[in-house]
Amino acid sequence: MNRLHDMGGRYGDGPVPDTDDSVVFHSDWEAHAMAVTVLSATVGAWNIDASRHARESLAPKDYTRFSYYERWMAGLADLLVARGVVTADELAQAAPAEPADLQPSALRAQDIPASQNKRAPYSREIDRAPQFKSGDAVRSVSYSPNVAVPGGHSRLPRYAMGRVGTIEVCHGAHVLPDSNAHFLGEAPEPLYTVAFRAEELWGSAAKRPHDTIMLDLWESYLSPVA
Amino acid sequence: MLAEFGVTLPEDTAIRVWDSTAEVRYLVIPERPDGTDGWSEDQLTALVTRDSMIGTGQALRPEAAA
Repeated sequence: MNRLHDMGGRYGDGPVPDTDDSVVFHSDWEAHAMAVTVLSATVGAWNIDASRHARESLAPKDYTRFSYYERWMAGLADLLVARGVVTADELAQAAPAEPADLQPSALRAQDIPASQNKRAPYSREIDRAPQFKSGDAVRSVSYSPNVAVPGGHSRLPRYAMGRVGTIEVCHGAHVLPDSNAHFLGEAPEPLYTVAFRAEELWGSAAKRPHDTIMLDLWESYLSPVA
Repeated sequence: MLAEFGVTLPEDTAIRVWDSTAEVRYLVIPERPDGTDGWSEDQLTALVTRDSMIGTGQALRPEAAA
């Protein structure tokens, strides 16, 4: 993750705003943005990793000035065009040139609760044992964790790249977002919680060097440390 | 970071931070405050805050719920 959204440990963003989270949507259009985005996924043209990647791939100048749900709408627009669901022209005109093929599969209002309450676990069975066990020392990859797509979607934050940590627990195999986000298959592999000492991540800026930061990391992000 | 939320902890408190990077989700169980022995579930629930459920604060003290 070396895009703008990867802000963990970055200086210059100011304090975390302590906002009133009893307000779910700050205006009606935000509720519509969420509904349209979530329900568009039922078309089946992408997966959740791809939609995250679409938002992360917005141009930095847009990502910076957009609000949260503006990013959702921009990411959705890019996905709709990239996956051929609509053309950029149709999107600009807010009307299709001709009826789209997917209309017969349109989601009806009465079917929405069932479609949204379906569980979609990301854990998978695989036929090989995990490479690491609890207590093993590991080092995370140092720059571009996505080996299939340079600069592609990844869940390894920049602040934890190239650092030594300890395997806390293995969660079994999970879908690899780095692959799934780019429609290269689920490629499930073991997922681990890895514990890093604060000093390993923040150096002398760690106020309490022995505190720990846990990250859930996929096996291909990690190599053994002798 | 915790100070931004108005939280100070004793020096000997070990802090373990989870950065949620996968589809595994975690719940924080707030530490039970002293002086709540024999309290009912409803009484204890009144001490639980948003911040104490996301690890950026502690549950309210018993005197705060009075």
